[in-house]
Amino acid sequence: MSDRADTVIVGGGVAGFQAAMTLRRLWPEKTVTLLDKEEETGYYRTLLPQFINGTLPENKLFFPPSADDRHLRILTAVRVESIDREKRTLRLSGRGDLHYQRLLIACGGRPLVPQPFVGADCAGIFPVRSLTAARMARQWLTSHPEVVVLGGGLVGVKTAAHLAGFGYTVTLIERDDTLLPLALSAAAAGLVADHLRQKKIRLLLGRTVDDLHSTAGAISAVQVGGDWLPCQTLMVATGSLPDLAWLHDSGLLSEGRLEVAPTLQTADPHIFAAGDAVTIVDSARYTPWTWPQAVVQGALAGENCHAAVPRSLRRYSRVNTMNLNGLSLAILGLPVPGAARAVYAPAGAGIYRELFHQDGTIVGGALVGDISLGGRFHQLMATGLAGERDLESLLVPRKGVWSPQAAVFVRNVRRARILPQGVER
Amino acid sequence: MKVIAVHPDRCTGCRTCELYCATERGSNSKNLLQAATEEPLPKARVRVEGGGSLSFPLQCRHCRQAPCIDACLAGALVRDEESGLVVIREGLCIGCWTCTLFCPYGVIFPWPERKIALKCDRCLYMERPVCVDVCPTRALEVVDMADYDQFLQGKGSQVATGLAYAGPGLLLLDLQHPA
Ligand SMILES: Cc1cc2nc3c(=O)[nH]c(=O)nc-3n(C[C@H](O)[C@H](O)[C@H](O)COP(=O)(O)OP(=O)(O)OC[C@H]3O[C@@H](n4cnc5c(N)ncnc54)[C@H](O)[C@@H]3O)c2cc1C
Ligand code: SF4
Ligand code: SF4
Repeated sequence: MSDRADTVIVGGGVAGFQAAMTLRRLWPEKTVTLLDKEEETGYYRTLLPQFINGTLPENKLFFPPSADDRHLRILTAVRVESIDREKRTLRLSGRGDLHYQRLLIACGGRPLVPQPFVGADCAGIFPVRSLTAARMARQWLTSHPEVVVLGGGLVGVKTAAHLAGFGYTVTLIERDDTLLPLALSAAAAGLVADHLRQKKIRLLLGRTVDDLHSTAGAISAVQVGGDWLPCQTLMVATGSLPDLAWLHDSGLLSEGRLEVAPTLQTADPHIFAAGDAVTIVDSARYTPWTWPQAVVQGALAGENCHAAVPRSLRRYSRVNTMNLNGLSLAILGLPVPGAARAVYAPAGAGIYRELFHQDGTIVGGALVGDISLGGRFHQLMATGLAGERDLESLLVPRKGVWSPQAAVFVRNVRRARILPQGVER
Repeated sequence: MKVIAVHPDRCTGCRTCELYCATERGSNSKNLLQAATEEPLPKARVRVEGGGSLSFPLQCRHCRQAPCIDACLAGALVRDEESGLVVIREGLCIGCWTCTLFCPYGVIFPWPERKIALKCDRCLYMERPVCVDVCPTRALEVVDMADYDQFLQGKGSQVATGLAYAGPGLLLLDLQHPA
């Protein structure tokens, strides 16, 4: 193995892979080495809940294979332990040093594990983030169907929704009084809670796990307030933070954050970064840690690595969309204090659509139960072009074109228009 | 690359294109009257925009840098190499709807009953797109992108003026309003 590459990418998540593909396309003569500490790499992290519940077949979990490329080297089960910026080398676990000309950091996030579980020496506890843990969870769940999901954020809600209805009993515990507290208004979150309850998920809101009990080396109960709750499997989804410990004394971190310019350049001109690892500094600090952003940023960082004039990222949108086992949900952004609100929420229909707007700009909102026209709202928000439009009426979903009369009507219209007058078909 | 172009000045807003798109491409029966009774109801991949003084059918623009492809969580959206069109591989779609939020035109549609996203593929595997065939006023036309500039000349100012007066129901965002 040679100990150098023109570009080294740390992290084989989607940002790292997009960067690698872009680099190979734009600079065919430059070598790329991509490193990941996981055993397996190049998979759709977002599909892990469907993989864990057993519905997603393994072959759909991985990125489609690309043609053999001798200029692209992918090394798995290799952890980058530290960096020497002067020598432009990385220290790898068990492999010596690797020299780079350009470095692209796409090391993503690591799951936050709350206190009672840190270092807990018992089986049945799985953070929802890596395929390694997902494989173990999938296996474990087949004989341990009593599940507690900890954390009512995006990943927790998604995980709970995908487990309920597959033979598991699911309890979802969220510290806040509403679900998705970092994404939805209380009213919108209420509808999501109703839906999850309908799916027989037990919700414990405003609560957290204080302690755990294990039997024969495996988790058997968790303590919530004064009560003990039976629990054979604990899925931990209490959020994640950039996985930056290896950059600890690199001088690249500012208050623990890996800050980049909108060109995805770090303070070191040889080092770029993308995806869940970064904080983008523009007029404010942005942490758009979503899949579409990781894709776009990965490609842009790859392009900028060797470009004479780097381009800037155009958007930092955090928009997130999901299908919670039958409930469609699109999140545009949290309510902004002082913003006006347009709502469409017909009683009893299971639909709640709201937009927050300020000075003719959409600043947040959510579509629950019916996400139609979501792309337009996102675009209006991103371009700031909501203007004078009547958002209340735009929020009303349009009816489908179908009715028995419609067909007859159209046939008549067609006849009237297409045929020359006086001709019968 | 061949795409569907629209003559907004000819569109009367009758939604025939929507009906037949849904029937031909989304129903089991492929028959208009039976399709209306199917469960789930067939869904169209084209949507007639506007109303009142101006309307036009809108379907996938097959963007050169397609945000929907970047957004797809499952690798289901790809560019078909031969035709250059953006197509969805339904077998890979998990119905997460992320793409529908990233299409600036709002022309990928969630189809919850089938758990897939729906978009126009210009009826790639048919002789001619259904909507183009059925439009009573010939408001839709298949054009080559190379000829598109020519097509737009003469239409451009009309479209822009139309949009400016079309009112709040209309949000075509890639065209500038006239000064
Ligand atoms: C269960 C789940 C569901 C999600 N659902 C959605 C969704 O519906 N919509 C959405 O927009 N987003 C979703 N996300 C978020 C989305 O998956 C992430 O934003 C995206 O994957 C980030 O990609 P990334 O490449 O930046 O980082 P990651 O995918 O985290 O990849 C980073 C890689 O770097 C490796 N690495 C880290 N440190 C080192 C090191 N020192 N040495 C070597 N390798 C290292 C890691 O092993 C990892 O493979 C979800 C996330 C999860 C976990
Ligand atoms: S679906 Fe929308 S975003 Fe995707 S190519 Fe078509 S118009 Fe562009
Ligand atoms: S709905 Fe289907 S095509 Fe759209 S982003 Fe999700 S998986 Fe991809």
